[in-house]
Order: sequence, then C-alpha cells, then structure tokens
Amino acid sequence: MTTRPELNLGEHLLAGLAAVALFAVMAAVFVSAGFGQPAGFGDGSITASIGYALFAMTDLAAHESESFLVAFEIIDIVLVAALVGAVMLARRESEGSLVTALTDGGRDTDDGGEN
Amino acid sequence: MAIQVQYYLLLSAAMFCIGLFGILTRRNALLFLMSVELMLNAANVNLVAFSFQYGNITGQVFSLFTMALAAAEVAVGIGIILVLYRNFKDVDVTKAATMRW
Amino acid sequence: MAAEEIPLVFEFAPAIAVLPALSLVVALFFGEYFPKKGAEAGILATAGSLVLSLIMLATVAGGQTVNHELYTLVLGVSEETFGLHLGILIDPLSALMLTIVSLISFLVHVFSMGYMNDEGETGLPRYYGELGLFTASMLAFVMADNILMAFMFFELVGLASYLLIGFWFRDAGPPSAAKKAFLVTRFGDYFFLVGVVGIFATFFPATSTPGMFAGEHAFPVVAEHALAGEATVNTFGFEPQTWFTILGLLVLGGVIGKSAQFPLHSWLPDAMEGPTPVSALIHAATMVAAGVYLVARMYGFYALSPTALGVIALTGGFTALFAATMGVVKQEIKQVLAYSTISQYGYIMLGLGGGGYVAAVFHLTTHAVFKALLFLGAGSVIIAMHHNENMWDMGGLKEKMPVTYYSFLSGSLALAGIIPFAGFWSKDEVLFETLVHGLGTPTASSTLLLIGYAFGLVAVFFTGFYTFRMVFLTFHGEPRTDTAEDPHGVRWNVKAPLAVLGVLAATVGFINMTPVAELTGAHIEFLHQWLDMAPEEYLTNVHHYTEVLETASHYEAAHISPLAPGAVSLALALGGAGLAYQLYGTAAHPEPHTEKLGSIRTLLMHNYYLDEFQVWLATGVTYRVARAANTFDQGVVDGVVNGVSSVSLFSGSRVRRIQSGVVSNYASLITLSLVLLIAFFGIMGGWF
Repeated sequence: MTTRPELNLGEHLLAGLAAVALFAVMAAVFVSAGFGQPAGFGDGSITASIGYALFAMTDLAAHESESFLVAFEIIDIVLVAALVGAVMLARRESEGSLVTALTDGGRDTDDGGEN
Repeated sequence: MAIQVQYYLLLSAAMFCIGLFGILTRRNALLFLMSVELMLNAANVNLVAFSFQYGNITGQVFSLFTMALAAAEVAVGIGIILVLYRNFKDVDVTKAATMRW
Repeated sequence: MAAEEIPLVFEFAPAIAVLPALSLVVALFFGEYFPKKGAEAGILATAGSLVLSLIMLATVAGGQTVNHELYTLVLGVSEETFGLHLGILIDPLSALMLTIVSLISFLVHVFSMGYMNDEGETGLPRYYGELGLFTASMLAFVMADNILMAFMFFELVGLASYLLIGFWFRDAGPPSAAKKAFLVTRFGDYFFLVGVVGIFATFFPATSTPGMFAGEHAFPVVAEHALAGEATVNTFGFEPQTWFTILGLLVLGGVIGKSAQFPLHSWLPDAMEGPTPVSALIHAATMVAAGVYLVARMYGFYALSPTALGVIALTGGFTALFAATMGVVKQEIKQVLAYSTISQYGYIMLGLGGGGYVAAVFHLTTHAVFKALLFLGAGSVIIAMHHNENMWDMGGLKEKMPVTYYSFLSGSLALAGIIPFAGFWSKDEVLFETLVHGLGTPTASSTLLLIGYAFGLVAVFFTGFYTFRMVFLTFHGEPRTDTAEDPHGVRWNVKAPLAVLGVLAATVGFINMTPVAELTGAHIEFLHQWLDMAPEEYLTNVHHYTEVLETASHYEAAHISPLAPGAVSLALALGGAGLAYQLYGTAAHPEPHTEKLGSIRTLLMHNYYLDEFQVWLATGVTYRVARAANTFDQGVVDGVVNGVSSVSLFSGSRVRRIQSGVVSNYASLITLSLVLLIAFFGIMGGWF
C-alpha cells in the first residue's frame, strides 16, 4: 500500500535535519553575500523579447538575450522522446499481446484472482 | 527600490530544501515526483532572479526550457513509477532494493 | 652463401632427409594397406637416401661441396638484426656421415621386416613411421649448416627416440624407459639451448650469420679471429678464451646427454626396452652419434679452448672405462652391448678431446658399422631365443645359426679391437692421438689427456673381456635351455643386413690404417685425406684444425712411433679376450665366474648405484627443497596475498552496507555531503 501523505518523521528525522542544515548553510551564504542593486528591465515587452529570443530574432527584441532556436528544436525532440518513452514504460505484455497502461489502469490482471 | 536578489535566493533555497525534505522523508514515489518538481522550480526562481539582476532575458528563456524538461521528466517518472508498481506491487521506494549487493 | 653457383646435384641434397620424412607420412597413414605395413615406404625412402648420399659422396670426392641457405625462417630486416635460416652444408664430414646414417637405417629397415613383421607385432605403421621420422631428423641434423637448425633436428631426434623406445607402450618398462631417455637427454639439451643462444648473442655483431658452421663468417672462424685480436665479439666481460670455453661446455651439455656420456649415460641401457632394430639405429647411426657429430661439426670452435678439450677428453676416457666395467657383469646380451656403446662413444670423445679429429671421425664410422652389426646380430639371436635376452639361457648357437655367428664374431672382433678388424684401427688411432698430444703438449691440459689415455687403455682390456664373454656365452659351449637347443629360424631379411655389415666390419678399418702408413710410407690414410678435402674457404679441413689446435690450445704432437702403443692396446685387448676364453670359452657349461667378484659385482650390477643416486637426488634433495619452497609459497607468499585479500574482503563487506538500495539513504548521503562541501568552501573562502 502506498503511504498516506502525513508527516511521519521518526526514522527520517536525521534525513530531514540534513535538509534543514542545507538550508541553513545556503541561507548563511546568501545573506552574507552582497550582489549590489539589480539592473532591472527598462521599457519594452519582456514577453515579446522572450518570443524573439526563442526564434533567434534577437535584433528585434527590446531586451538583450541570446538566441535559442536550436535549443528550442532540441527540446521539441526531447519532449517527443519522453512521451514515447513514457508510453513504452507504461505498457506491458499480457498473454502475448501488448496492452497499454491506459486500458487496464495499470493493475496486474494475473494477480487479481477473482476472474 | 527593487528587492535585493539575495531574498529571491533565500526563497529559492527554501523551496529547494522543502523539496529535498520531501525526498528525504517520504517513501511514496509519487510524492518524490512532486518534491522533484518543487526543487526544479526553486532553480527556476533563481534563473528569473538573476535575469532581473543582470537585465538579460536569457534567464527567463531558460526557465521556460526547464519547465518543458520538467514535463518530460514527469512523463518518464510516471512511467518508471508504473513499472515500479508492476514489479513490486507498491510505490514505496524503500522496497525497490533488489539491485543492491 | 654462394647460392647462385650450386652444382645441380646438390639441388637433390634436401631429398635425402625429405624422403624418410615422406615415408613417415606414407607409413603412418597408408601403412595399413601395404602388405608389409609400411616397411616398403621406409625401405624405398632410405634406399633413395642411401643412393643420394652416395651420389653426394662421389660429388664431394670430385671436389664439389655446398654450403648454402635453403629456407629463411626469420629474415634479418636491417643491419641490427640477423636472420635465422635452414640450410645445407655438404662437405666431406657430412657426406660421410650421411652415407653412414642412410646405410645403417636402410639395413635396419630391412632387418625390421624380419624382427617385427615376421614376429607378428602390431602397430607396425606407427613403428615404420617413427623409424622414418628418426632417420629424417638425423639426416637433416647431419646436413644442417647452422647451429640453430642442428638444435632443432637434435631435438626431433630425441623426440623420435622417445617414441620408439616407448613403442611397446602397453608394457610397464618401455614407457618409463622412454621418459627417462627423453628427460635425461633433455636435461643436457637445456644447456645446449642456452649455448645456442649464447653463440648467437656473442657472434652477432661480428658476423651477420652467427650460427653458421662453415665459411668465412661462421662462428668458429670468427671466434678464432677474436682470439687473434682481429675481431671483436661480445664476451660479456670475460676473456674471449674463457667465454668460448663456457659456450663450448654449454653446448657440450647436449652432447653429453645425447651421446650418453658420464654422468648422463643412464638412459641408454634402459633404452634397450625398445625394439632391437631401434636399439641398433639409436646406437649406431642416429641418436647417440648425434652428440659426437656435433662436436666434430664445430670442432674448429672446440679447438680454440684447451679447457673444453681437456674436459671432453677426460669425460670420454672416464666414460670409456666406467661403462666397460659395468658391461663385464651384465647377463643380458643387449645390456652388454648398451654399455659397450657408452664405452665406445667415450673413446670417440676422448679422440676429439685429444686432438684426434680424424681418429674420432674414423672411430665414429667404424663403430657405426660394427655396433649396428652387433645389435642386429643380437636381434637375430633374440628372435631365435623367442625374445629371451639372458645369455645364461643361450649357448651353443654357433652351429644353429652360422650366418649370425660369423657376422657377430666379425663385429665382436672389431669391438674388442683385434687386428685387422675395423675397431682396432680406429680405437688404436684414438688412443695414439691422445697419447702423442698428451706427451707433446707443454701446457697443463696434457695431464688431462694422459689421464684420459690411461682410462682408455685400461678400458681396452675390459672391452676385450666383456665382448668375448658375450660371444662365448651366447654361441659357444652346449645349449643351456630348450630354446637354445631348438632356436627359431631367421629369414633372409635378417641375414642379408648381417652379412653386409659383417663384411664391412672386417674391412672398413682399411680406410685409415695409420700404423701401416707410418711403417711403409704409403699414402693410405684415405679418411685423413678425405676429411682434409674440405674447401679452404669452409675452414673445416684437417690441417686447419691442426693449425688451430697448435696456436690456440698449444697442442703439439710428440714424435713417437705408432707401433708400440698399438701393440700395447692390442695386447690388452687380446688379454681381455683370452681371459674371457679361459673363463667361459673352454667349458661346455661355463661357470658364472663374475659372481666370485662378490660385492664388486653387486656394485657393477647396480651400475655403481648411479640410478639410485639420481633417484636420491630427486627424492632426497630436490623433493625436499621443493617441499620447503612449497611450504614457503603456501605459508608466506600465499599468506600475504590471502591477508591482503581478506582485508579488502572484510572492509568491502562492511562498506557495502552503505549501498542499501533505498533511494532516500542515497539522497541523505548526497545532501549531507553537499552541506559539508558548502560549509568547507564557505569557511575556506570566507563566505560567511
């Protein structure tokens, strides 16, 4: 059975403390660091600039950035691959024919016993 | 007067550590996925904060990519959890320990 | 290396060895289908070899020789490397030896038909195949033009002898004897191999063909130049002469093993377990002859080192006497012959060490003839006696088998050294050469030569005694058993080889009658002239060797008449034979007189307890050392290794508990590490 979402420390107290300690260390570093005043954005649409950056038309953009056309296309491929991979992982073989996870809700029919 | 960037960083660190806390204390793989989402978004906060700090739009674009990758990651993660469930009849990550020594 | 001007006839020289090798294949794979089970192939092949060898002999007599590369094993690619090759060297010495080997092995093949086929042995294709291999490897060894090729075929000879001695592998004795022969000769060959490598390493930069036996670039010649200071060789920090002595003694290890010299002689009497024709082949023409032939082949190298020569002479002389005394008490006809072989090869070594190159080759030739004869005669007797080899069960065979008797008598007279049979001339010349060099040489090695001579002279008496004891016990008197009363008949294929060899044993000594030549002034030392015919550029002729002996080893011949020493050794031989006649030849039923020797007889019967000594060396010393080493290995070496491994095993079994397989634990570890890392960098970098 899955565990219900409840805060059940005890055996995990030490691990939880590790996370808290990490926050403490990082907070100490950040607070003591000085970054100066942020430059901020001037006039012009930030959203439009993001759009230009994605399609490598940075000369039209109001704000400075780099071009991301190649990254954009690669992300496209990655997403498709992840989708296909997820379907591949989720489906399974049942009595010689491939059945996707969607059709049987992911339950194990062999172990059901009733039918 | 704009907000200093270290407060964004504190926010980001807090989000990250909450996510980490979830990973360290939970046994349910689905909660793991949620915690990982939280940690990814902590990184996004960082990106956007520094984008503002330097007046450069690159950080914001990058955070968009991160979100897309997070979607992919969730898709694969859900698939893994499905397989995990099929093999162990459970989504408790501590039980999937058959590949240790 | 003048490959372009070989006379056409020498193109056929490799066939001398290839023919018997072919007979190996034919006999082994198709022998079953022949009426004589493969003997035909062997006989045809060895007959072909004999004819070709005689042609070579005639060609060499016509003044043509060959020394050329035939097949390159490894090509020397640049100035810094040298090539290895197979080649043939046909000069008077090797032509003579080729003829002897192919003649004997032809006769042995014919005899085998009587000894093996007619006796209904099984496994004959294997027998004839191995015989072919034996002959082929010996012939190839004889015509080898470099020491590496000689070594290769030397080893093949050893392999073939192993196979043949163990021919009756279903009995208990032969496999064990075969193993002994193989291991003992291999022990010597180990030194030979080291010597071969040493020769290559020593002479390489000085000559591009460091292994060659003959020619301007051969290692004996280069060594000679190095001694004269005209060439520089790699002597590894030694004086050149000292180093050449070491190399010579290393190679001599192989010679001592193969030629059954003391202390590696013990395999030879045991090798009698093989079929008798094989014994004849081993003793007369192949295996045992290979050792001394090697010394003769590279005599120019040994002649440079008086120490090596002295060792050779002393080993030979001692072995001659040592083996002869053991032959006195043996009861089996083949055992007596085995010890006589060891003794006779001792003489050959004595001759080589004593500066008598011609004498040694002469004795090698005559011994090959008369020892093959004696063994084949013994084989004939053994057939007649239904494979009973004990001489005390024989007697009176003279009337029953006259051909065997007279040929055997001829061989025995030759072996005992009774004038005018072959052995007298050659043995006498060996002793004479040793004596004159011993007397004439001013340096310390003369003592060694004289000691060797004394040994050899005393051995003459024993040789006469045991030879005629054997003859009288076997052929004279009254038959002492029923088998001797009615012996099994032998056929033409036994008698013909005996007759041929019987005539040769009586006459082959005439090729070098030194005392007669000395007396009459006639030039009838044909063998001397023959061996001296080797071309000047080969530097393997007799007068060159004499020169080297004089300059490098300071051998000088005393000028004394050969008559007195010859008369002394003849008198001793006759004395031995006469004593044997007194003890065994007069009575119809001779007494076993050697039993009166008491404890000495026991000592001799047990071969001076040398086998026991060697077994003791193995079990008492080597085994203990090995066991101690084993304990050390198991305890200390393995202990350290096992300790190291158990430490890592233990720590691994503890450390692996980190790998719980639970994701959360890994994440915790990563988190904690990250905290520590950031804290570390923060403190070090002053971030706080």
